[in-house]
Amino acid sequence: MGEAWWLSLAFLGIGALVGFLAQRSRMCFVAGFRDWLLVRDTELLLGLFSFLATVWLLSSLGYALGLLHQSMPEYGALEARTAAQGARTAAQGVRDLRGLRLSDARELLGLANRFLYASLAGGALIGFVSVLSGGCVLRQHVLAAQGSRNAWLFLAGFYAAVPLYYLFLARYLGWVYR
Amino acid sequence: MKPSTTTPTDRRRTLKPWLFGIIAGVLFVGAEILLGIYPPSAYAFCLACHVRDLVNTVWNAALGMALETTGLARRALLLTSPGVLLGALAAAALYRERRRQPLERPLPHFLAGLAVMTTGILIFGCPTRIVLRAGYGEVYGIAALAGLLAGIAGGTLLLRLRRRG
Repeated sequence: MGEAWWLSLAFLGIGALVGFLAQRSRMCFVAGFRDWLLVRDTELLLGLFSFLATVWLLSSLGYALGLLHQSMPEYGALEARTAAQGARTAAQGVRDLRGLRLSDARELLGLANRFLYASLAGGALIGFVSVLSGGCVLRQHVLAAQGSRNAWLFLAGFYAAVPLYYLFLARYLGWVYR
Repeated sequence: MKPSTTTPTDRRRTLKPWLFGIIAGVLFVGAEILLGIYPPSAYAFCLACHVRDLVNTVWNAALGMALETTGLARRALLLTSPGVLLGALAAAALYRERRRQPLERPLPHFLAGLAVMTTGILIFGCPTRIVLRAGYGEVYGIAALAGLLAGIAGGTLLLRLRRRG
């Protein structure tokens, strides 16, 4: 088998391990804050914080040792957009907190940086909709595997949105990267 | 749509969420380093982006189109989402927690899936990867996490108002 097969299997394995553990721990990335707000239950929120702290420590270590790539090259992602956007953000030097200087704040927070405000608003929309539908995307996968028909419908919408986005919406929503 | 979740004292929960957080964090950062998962970075796990890459790869192969994928998706099939389903299925079967739950209000759930994926493609992340990117210290990830928390607060407020009313 070639490298592509092994890497594909690795992703399947990562997914399976995370799915197994998420089912055992009932982990959800939105229910933690919701439970804390509703009944002051901190168990799931601790999961979110421990994940955040672990990633923060290990990625800092990885950057310090030169094991991780320094840049976040994805914005605008995917290659066609990356060249222009990447040059702009690199010039601003604001991709990453580590490279942030105070003089960059105006560039970063200016209204011209649409992607920042899209991230804020998009995050808010994801949080709002996820709370109303009963869990984050990971939790919906777990619920679907446990036999929840509602979660199946959620996943159907989830997969159906991809061609919908690229065939109809991309040309309008791509505005936020420009 | 009522929240279908855990009660605070779930006796059948056999793994503490804080331990899940640590295992997942080590797994995602470790996998990126050991398997060379790049570009983009902080990409070892994302249900929205990996599904996007998977669907577009299959779509491109079947119909000969050229929809966007990341560089990584040209090296492998990103089978994370089917993997999560299989893993959760195995766990639920092993611990006898699979039960048939009736379909109630299908349209709102379908629309919720559509909305979450569309937004997820736009800002590069499902909730898991938003937190992952914030942990990498990335400005836009932190902004998305702040928005996520605000959105959760708004949704919870709506739930509470609806329950009372």
